[in-house]
Amino acid sequence: MSKRILHHPEVPAGETTVAWRSQGQLEDTAEFRSWLDREFPRGAAEMANEEEMETSRRSFLKLMGASTALAGFGMAACRRPESYIVPYTKAPEWVIPGNATYYASSMPRAGGATPLVVTSFEGRPTKLTVNNLHPDAEGTDAFAQASILDLYSPSRSRTILKGAKSAKRGDLDAAIAAVAADPAAKVGFLFGADDSPTRARLVTQLASKFSAAKFYQYEALTGEAAAALGDGVKLVADFALADRILSLDSDFAGSDSAGPITPFFDRRKPEGKAYDAKPDASKMNRLYAIEAGFSLTGGMADHRLRIPTSQIVGIAAQIARMITGDVALTAAGEVVTDPKHLSWIQGVVDDLKAHAGRSVVLAGSRQPAAIHHLALAINLALGNIGEGKPLVALQTETTGLGSLATLKTDIDAGTIDTLFLLGPANPVYDAPADLKFGESLAKLKASFHLGTRTDATAHAATWHIPAAHYLESWSDTRSARGIYTVVQPMILPLYPNCVSELELLLALLSEDGKLLNGEGEKGEASPAYTAVRATFTALGGEGDTAWKTLLRDGFLKDTAYPTATVSVAASAWSDVGAAKREAPTANTLEVIFATDASVYDGRWIDNGWLQEAPDPISKLTWDNAALIAPKTAKELGIYDQIIALQPVENVLGVEMETGPRSPDGEADGRKSPMILVKVNGQELEIPVLISFGQAENTIVIPLGYGQGFNAEDELGRGEFNASHVSLVGVNSGFNAYPLRTSQSPYFASGATATPTGKRYSVALTQEHNAMYGRALAREVSTAHDDEKGSFAEQIGNVKKQGNDSHAPPNVSLYKQENREGKSLLSDPLHQWAMSIDLSSCTGCNSCLVACQAENNIPIVGKKQVAMGREMHWIRMDRYFATQKDNDFDSDNPVLVPQPVSCVQCESAPCETVCPVNATVHTEDGLNAMAYNRCIGTRYCANNCPYKARRFNFFDYNKRNPLIEHNLYKGPFGEKQVGDAPHLQRNPNVTVRMRGVMEKCTYCVQRLKGAVIRQKRGQKQEALVAGKPSTEFRVTESTLRIPVDSVKVACQDACSAGAISFGNLLDGEKSTMYRTKQLERNYDLLNYIGTRPRTSYLARVKNPNPAMPDAKFIGKATIHMV
Amino acid sequence: MANFFPRWSNLLPLQIAVCLGTAVGGIALAFAYYATPKAQVVGYQPAQPIPFSHKIHVDQLGLDCRYCHSFAEVSGHSNVPSGNTCWNCHQHVQRDSPKLAPLHKSMDVNYPGYDGKPIEWVRVHKAPDYVYFNHSAHLARGISCQSCHGDVNKMEVVYQAESHSMGWCLDCHNAPEKHLRPLEEVYNFKYDAEKYLAANPTYQDGKRLKTQEEFGLLIKDMFHVHPKTSCSTCHH
Repeated sequence: MSKRILHHPEVPAGETTVAWRSQGQLEDTAEFRSWLDREFPRGAAEMANEEEMETSRRSFLKLMGASTALAGFGMAACRRPESYIVPYTKAPEWVIPGNATYYASSMPRAGGATPLVVTSFEGRPTKLTVNNLHPDAEGTDAFAQASILDLYSPSRSRTILKGAKSAKRGDLDAAIAAVAADPAAKVGFLFGADDSPTRARLVTQLASKFSAAKFYQYEALTGEAAAALGDGVKLVADFALADRILSLDSDFAGSDSAGPITPFFDRRKPEGKAYDAKPDASKMNRLYAIEAGFSLTGGMADHRLRIPTSQIVGIAAQIARMITGDVALTAAGEVVTDPKHLSWIQGVVDDLKAHAGRSVVLAGSRQPAAIHHLALAINLALGNIGEGKPLVALQTETTGLGSLATLKTDIDAGTIDTLFLLGPANPVYDAPADLKFGESLAKLKASFHLGTRTDATAHAATWHIPAAHYLESWSDTRSARGIYTVVQPMILPLYPNCVSELELLLALLSEDGKLLNGEGEKGEASPAYTAVRATFTALGGEGDTAWKTLLRDGFLKDTAYPTATVSVAASAWSDVGAAKREAPTANTLEVIFATDASVYDGRWIDNGWLQEAPDPISKLTWDNAALIAPKTAKELGIYDQIIALQPVENVLGVEMETGPRSPDGEADGRKSPMILVKVNGQELEIPVLISFGQAENTIVIPLGYGQGFNAEDELGRGEFNASHVSLVGVNSGFNAYPLRTSQSPYFASGATATPTGKRYSVALTQEHNAMYGRALAREVSTAHDDEKGSFAEQIGNVKKQGNDSHAPPNVSLYKQENREGKSLLSDPLHQWAMSIDLSSCTGCNSCLVACQAENNIPIVGKKQVAMGREMHWIRMDRYFATQKDNDFDSDNPVLVPQPVSCVQCESAPCETVCPVNATVHTEDGLNAMAYNRCIGTRYCANNCPYKARRFNFFDYNKRNPLIEHNLYKGPFGEKQVGDAPHLQRNPNVTVRMRGVMEKCTYCVQRLKGAVIRQKRGQKQEALVAGKPSTEFRVTESTLRIPVDSVKVACQDACSAGAISFGNLLDGEKSTMYRTKQLERNYDLLNYIGTRPRTSYLARVKNPNPAMPDAKFIGKATIHMV
Repeated sequence: MANFFPRWSNLLPLQIAVCLGTAVGGIALAFAYYATPKAQVVGYQPAQPIPFSHKIHVDQLGLDCRYCHSFAEVSGHSNVPSGNTCWNCHQHVQRDSPKLAPLHKSMDVNYPGYDGKPIEWVRVHKAPDYVYFNHSAHLARGISCQSCHGDVNKMEVVYQAESHSMGWCLDCHNAPEKHLRPLEEVYNFKYDAEKYLAANPTYQDGKRLKTQEEFGLLIKDMFHVHPKTSCSTCHH
């Protein structure tokens, strides 16, 4: 079905922006045009798998006729099934069937815990949101949002393994008791990098009980910050005070936590956090980023320099030299000679100096010591560290812990013969290859692995103990700035053998070494509860009141890490000198081992939500790939292969494919060519994707994939570690860990790449649901521009961009009012609307995953994604744009993310075409979808200019889409495996079935809930007034919900506060209403006259006019074809 | 050439048409009569594990609905009482009645067959999964239990009194005045608008109100009751 053609105006003459979503679009391929023109790609809406290729309309009708006839037989025996209501025997306190309860808890993580409020229905947690009471609250990222799925994962580890075979609990208890009984045991403990006060307390007890005990810490993706700052010291930024930020490869807005991030985004809004001031460029911060490939932070940057990772040290040394004037440094670092780089650096240096004491220089957490030394030296020289300054050095409690390398030495030396692996990392899989950690692990007398997955380490260890999820265990942790934060269980462990870290440590500390987990024998609390409470008593005082306050708030006030003093280490400049590397060339490429946005270091590989969430930059799902710059690809001779797409020819006005159609809608063009990367004496064959804005001669390979393969693998890699992963993670991606060495775990030099001629299918969503349109995303700059004028003029012209000023006013043919002049079909209390601020949106996927959790959105699997059938209600568009006249660096485009979901048009094109009235307007301004009425004609999606509608081609919720061909078997297909995933579902949202259209509802269940709650207050007010209800006057304020009191799921999740939602009738009091009054507010496709309720705020860039690239910044206007 | 078809067969097409027409029409009528929610679910009266009589508890003993259905006012669901609600009284009252055996089994630790498992009540009123009916929203705005569940106070065994079909829902959403009551009377099963108005003289524009509909219109106006009829009111 081809898409309805809407008549978009011509792109205005003089438009200098070149914008594109994908390489295919940049090269204007027929494939991309077909994505634009069609509602779904060719083949996606047809039965096209091997079995059904033969199905014609005729045979389809035959089948339908037969099934209708047979249905009669079935119906004859149809009776009302008896269902049961099963109440509690003893009603638990606070549980009201049908109402959610909310508890404060937190997710322990390496950079500082994420404080959470957990929504629980009848004891089962379903949704995580940020705990806004917490001083370190900073929204939730996609990982935090998706972590709830791990609790219910059907593949979650639930059996005790001994030597990778199922073992009895009794044997494990005996093994642990044996360790506990031997005070001379040569026992080691390997922790993750999260901080837990109770664990720290138990560690001291363990050290005194076991005289030979040793403690270690390991995370796969860490750098050498400790070498520059000191053991357990970290620098935390207060972005509210930072006017200028220089990121030396630090993805602080993404995966490198550098302090609560929300204040950073507050300062990306020229009108202030609450949108209540006049736009003022001087209140905004300015971000400079130096990195190799695009990160989310780089995408936000006002000025971005692309440099191979190994060369960042040279640039950083140059900046440090110019700021500190340190003579010793001149000898150490190499001197930058490239005049463009020099002028760029000069601009940064002048700006940082002018903002001394109000600027921040952040080093990437995975960088070697040299960069951390330099960042520290610059910050100290600028006086950025200290009380009331944007940076503060804090002393954490994770000190005195050995590294993985020391652990290996200790094992090999026999200092340790028993090891407890308690961290979330998977060292057998993710340790540097030259460490050969697996071999050392095998030398141990006994090793105990605690984890939620049966990964490589679980198989290699003597014992594997299934771990309790953090939503099932008592613990405590510390947030970014060290605020004491509690981890409360929401539910008993789903499986009886799941043990938490503290429970295991407490078993070792107990006299009889008995492992008690979950609920005690007589229903008493887990021993971890007692331990956490004891830790708390020392901090927050005795008594129930303080404890209950902690449980209610989730944190203890006025607790923070003590500050530390930092100074530049003596070895600093020699480290910098040693870090010098030759710049990569076409023959000696540089491989950068990136942190993956979906699986992090590989620990999330079995999480379907994260796997299917498109990578924010590359838009790749379910796999990783080698990312290379377009120029490098051309040099390798594979650029043309990447976009060599199935030829489509226009024959007499009809688009015809020449050549046979491949099954499953998989054209060759959706297969990427593969290259063989050789580095460090290892090699890896991996598909290639073009990555715009990446430094030349670098290959970025995200880590964490390729953990297990089975017989279904596309490349036939053979059965390998299939039991390490679930159906979600199996055959997913390529493992780059073997290329990594402990010398240089972040990047490797001297690599070669050769095309192998093979191809691998990649499920890329970057062209999916591509929209036509003018000025879809808009940008302005705070700097004066010769053509566009001052900041004020540019803001004033936002609404005129993309021919919006010429669009005639939209006149509705429908009657808007009745005879008495009263508005028809409208609710005088609530009119919902939303605005999305592109100025603070990074495109991080947090909203996308939050929406999935809230609205019971299924995953569809790699093959279905490749056909454009992903179900995400929020489509995270990511555009690249560059200026035609950009002579500074034309290969460094800006990245513009734009989340698009249903914009709830007031004159919705979808509504008029539905033959069964399944999509209609509501009184409060929503474009509603009645699933039970939808018959699946897809006319609505075809008529939607925003391409915001998603169709259930199969019963994704019921039939497991991850089993090969399962969906095509219809009722004979296997149902979703396991017994738990349905427990995550939100009971207030219908689970959709096959053949039904769906889309964003503005979280209508939350809106209805809030409105009903408000109405219940009427009786309360009457009671308070002491009048019978018939004498009490109900007013608008009785029935209208308080201003900004309801939040939609995406808004709740957003760290950046980019989404405002509310009631238009609240007027100026509502944040959303204020955003709609701003000059930079605009409607998407305004000229079509759909009058959307969701509007966008143009992105504001704050370039430094002194920079050589300033005049190309803040000018991107995204026109699509 | 011989006549293949005898003369009487000339009428055959007509006969077939008439028969088929009757059959199809009959099926359609029968479907309309027997297969609609009204025909299928009204009167559904399954046997419950304990023959609990609302008549005794409400009509004779005067228990308020909310003693057992305690969360109807604050939640979308109206809960069925948990075992301990029953046991509060029945550990003292009618303790030895054989009808209470399932309750003993679930609550009475000294009972020989005690297993502590909850009682499985058979669901009488069931909205489809895609319908979100909220009890609290209706109770808080002056719609009584009685309007949807019928005279439960007179039921020995609960049955479904109304069809609960979409059309039936919309009837009331379009004309709520037929059912609206003062908030104080929502749980009163003996409420009669005319008697209420006789006892509590109520006027609108100087005119004394006499009927439910007049009173309902007044309440509708006072409470700003504007029931929505768009799809997402109940389906989301």
